[in-house]
Amino acid sequence: MNILYLLIPLSLVLVVLATWAYFWAVRSRQFDDLDSQGLQILLDDDRAPEPPRE
Amino acid sequence: MEEGQRRCFHCGVQGTPESRFCVEYAGVAQACCCAGCQAAAQLVLAQGLGRYYEFRSGEGKAPDASERDWAAFDREASVRRWTHLAADGSRSVSLQLEGIHCAACSWLIDNSLRQLSGVLAISVNAAGARAELRYDPNRIALGQILRRIGELGYLARPLSFTAADDEGGRERRMALLRLAVAGFGMMQVMTFAVSLYAGALQGMDQNLAQLMRLVSLIVATPVVLFAAQPFFLGAVHSLRARTLGMDVPVALSIGAAYLWSAWATLVAGGPVYFDSAVMFTFLLLLGRYIEMSLRHRCGLQQHALARLLPDSVLRLRGAQSERVTPDELLVGDRLRVLPGERIAADGVVEQGRGEVDESLITGESVPQVRGVGGQLTAGTLNLSAPLEYRVERVGPDSTLATVSRLLQKAQADRPRFADQADRVAAWFVGAMLLLALCVGVYWLGVEPARAFPIMLAVLVVTCPCALSLATPAALAAATTRLARTGLLITRGRALERLAVADRVVFDKTGTLTRGQVRIEDVHLLDSSWSRERALAISAALERYSKHPIAQAFAQIAGPTVVTNIETDTGRGVGGTIDGVPYRIGRWEYALELSGGSVEPPSEGAQMLIALANPHGVLATFSLADGLREDAAAATSSLHHLGLTAIIASGDRAGVVTSVAQRLGDIESYCALDARAKVCLVSNLQGLGHTVLMVGDGVNDAPVLAAADVSIAIGGGTDLAKVSADLVLMGEHLAPIAEGIDVARRTRRIIRQNLLWAVIYNTTAVPLAAAGLLQPWMAAIGMSMSSLLVVLNAMRLLRGSKPRLSEEQSGAAAEPERLGGATA
Repeated sequence: MNILYLLIPLSLVLVVLATWAYFWAVRSRQFDDLDSQGLQILLDDDRAPEPPRE
Repeated sequence: MEEGQRRCFHCGVQGTPESRFCVEYAGVAQACCCAGCQAAAQLVLAQGLGRYYEFRSGEGKAPDASERDWAAFDREASVRRWTHLAADGSRSVSLQLEGIHCAACSWLIDNSLRQLSGVLAISVNAAGARAELRYDPNRIALGQILRRIGELGYLARPLSFTAADDEGGRERRMALLRLAVAGFGMMQVMTFAVSLYAGALQGMDQNLAQLMRLVSLIVATPVVLFAAQPFFLGAVHSLRARTLGMDVPVALSIGAAYLWSAWATLVAGGPVYFDSAVMFTFLLLLGRYIEMSLRHRCGLQQHALARLLPDSVLRLRGAQSERVTPDELLVGDRLRVLPGERIAADGVVEQGRGEVDESLITGESVPQVRGVGGQLTAGTLNLSAPLEYRVERVGPDSTLATVSRLLQKAQADRPRFADQADRVAAWFVGAMLLLALCVGVYWLGVEPARAFPIMLAVLVVTCPCALSLATPAALAAATTRLARTGLLITRGRALERLAVADRVVFDKTGTLTRGQVRIEDVHLLDSSWSRERALAISAALERYSKHPIAQAFAQIAGPTVVTNIETDTGRGVGGTIDGVPYRIGRWEYALELSGGSVEPPSEGAQMLIALANPHGVLATFSLADGLREDAAAATSSLHHLGLTAIIASGDRAGVVTSVAQRLGDIESYCALDARAKVCLVSNLQGLGHTVLMVGDGVNDAPVLAAADVSIAIGGGTDLAKVSADLVLMGEHLAPIAEGIDVARRTRRIIRQNLLWAVIYNTTAVPLAAAGLLQPWMAAIGMSMSSLLVVLNAMRLLRGSKPRLSEEQSGAAAEPERLGGATA
């Protein structure tokens, strides 16, 4: 069971990493609008956009 | 009306889309209802963004026909005010968008603006109806960007940087962070807790156990210090106010469990209770998060108030004048407002005399005459003559800001059953704290080692969480459910009264009817004239009228050159076309042109207007307001729910009885003014009825306020919207009956939840006090109880039907549209 002395602190590191990633996501407003981005992939056209007509 | 079942391609208004306003999409000519919609659709399609029409979940908005003055945003002063200059010379601006209802809208704006040269970056947030934009001021002006958004049928307004610093968004992000810290912490600590309990039974290496306790302490520390902060702050606030709020036992449980466990880990040894503290924090934060989301959704509606201000205003400086935005105004500025424009600031008339429509602010439907020295209120509409006025109040002192504050207060207003639960809980909390103390003291005498865990178990198990969640969870679910059907709640108290309403009073105009006048019949009095020519001349004249009747002519093309235009508010319009003067409007007004005195024909059930030239009256038009297609279905479903529908209308008897008859002979009152409607409502209330008032919200704000609960139809004006308890967003009446049904179910579920909370607490407390429950069992029991309450509330979300509009228009049209796109 000695491996636990390594694994438990390691799990702590992972939690810190996960929390940091989540903090980054929330702070960069990834969670502000959960609907639009999902639809964009359906709407966006892969063809080159037509030149804008002014 | 029978032949007119087609819908406008862009805005979805039912009626007779005209083939003249056609756009080509998916190889088919699609008809629009007016030139504005046609232009918007053409713009969307020309940019290759036609997919918007496949994916949107609601109809587009007809662009505002009136030409807005975007140029005011291009002046140096307003650019500096609204935008932020970056180091590379680009400017960024935050925009508040109106008319956004789904993700397809945000996609449309995003992609359409990207095609403007000079727009460097844009992100559109459909949930918050905001856009963040960065542009190159050397290549494009702010006004051009705003105009493009306007052309697509939305309305954009720059937000000042203080407002853009969005309070709600920050609160939401902070809550998400706290929730995450508590959630991650809970997963970790629970793992160790289970190991420690198992280890205690099977025997575990003491060093390993100590490591687990230490790691639990490390993980639990940020949870208690950061995630549980709101509970500690809340408890301090509540103690300062000398009350026992819900937060007091929560803070006490979390704090005591944490400190005791920390002490046990570092110094004394013995069992730890980090798991109870952390799980408790997470579950409570989850409940708060749900409640907060609900609050923010209501807050979004407030921005509608800003729309009442004009985009720009003419400021007079000596002999010179300039266009400025309302935010730049200072007290003492002299402004000029033209007929048909909105007044930009509270002030006093210095020159001119004219009528002002103040119905949006005061609910007074009759225009008020304002001369020199008369008070003007920002957001009201100048009807008849140019006025010059001096600004008296701006910013937070202005009437609009006051109204907005009142609105905020109304939204903070919690339903009475929530208050009741809080009051009960305060007593409950006091009693339970006392009980926990007594139990602790008792066990200290009997078995000192078990005294703390037993006291903690009592404290945790008695936390009135289920009690405090019972109401907000049900309300959040009900609000979401209603919003999905197209009914928005603006006041928390609305639901409980909606549940007990037994009389529904409809204001006829614009509620049971469409609120849009249409031409029912043309009667020619001069045989040399054709029907088409009479309509064309009338349409050309009506283009210059702001009266609602003019809408009826909006779809008809006419000669474009009209000179010598004169508008006589409330009577009609005159003008010269091809050298001949014409007048259209009331019979007497039109007849003044020829000077004769012919008796007007009787009006019957319809409105009548006349077109005349100097030779006499040429034609008369019968106008009527069509019944909404689901009006009959709505009144009968209300009847099934046990409610009696009543019509209270300001219209003449003929019109009202014909509507009442078509709806199955419901009770009706005609020719009522606003005061009489209030009397009618209070009479019903005097007889012991609970009255639900449904109005369009323009002229009936006082009646809406007098009724026990009120619903405004979304087509109404913004301020009227906020004066009602609920707002109906779509064009259909069906959500009213559904709303009543949901309100009744909500009440039932809240009662079930409260009953459960009471039963749970009365059975769990004796068990905990007898020392039969470990703190972790208490925490799980408490959590399960809360979860049960939330799940019960979630039942309200089930069985939701799609919105009626989608059933009707979407179901048939969608498959072929999608097929066309993929082929």
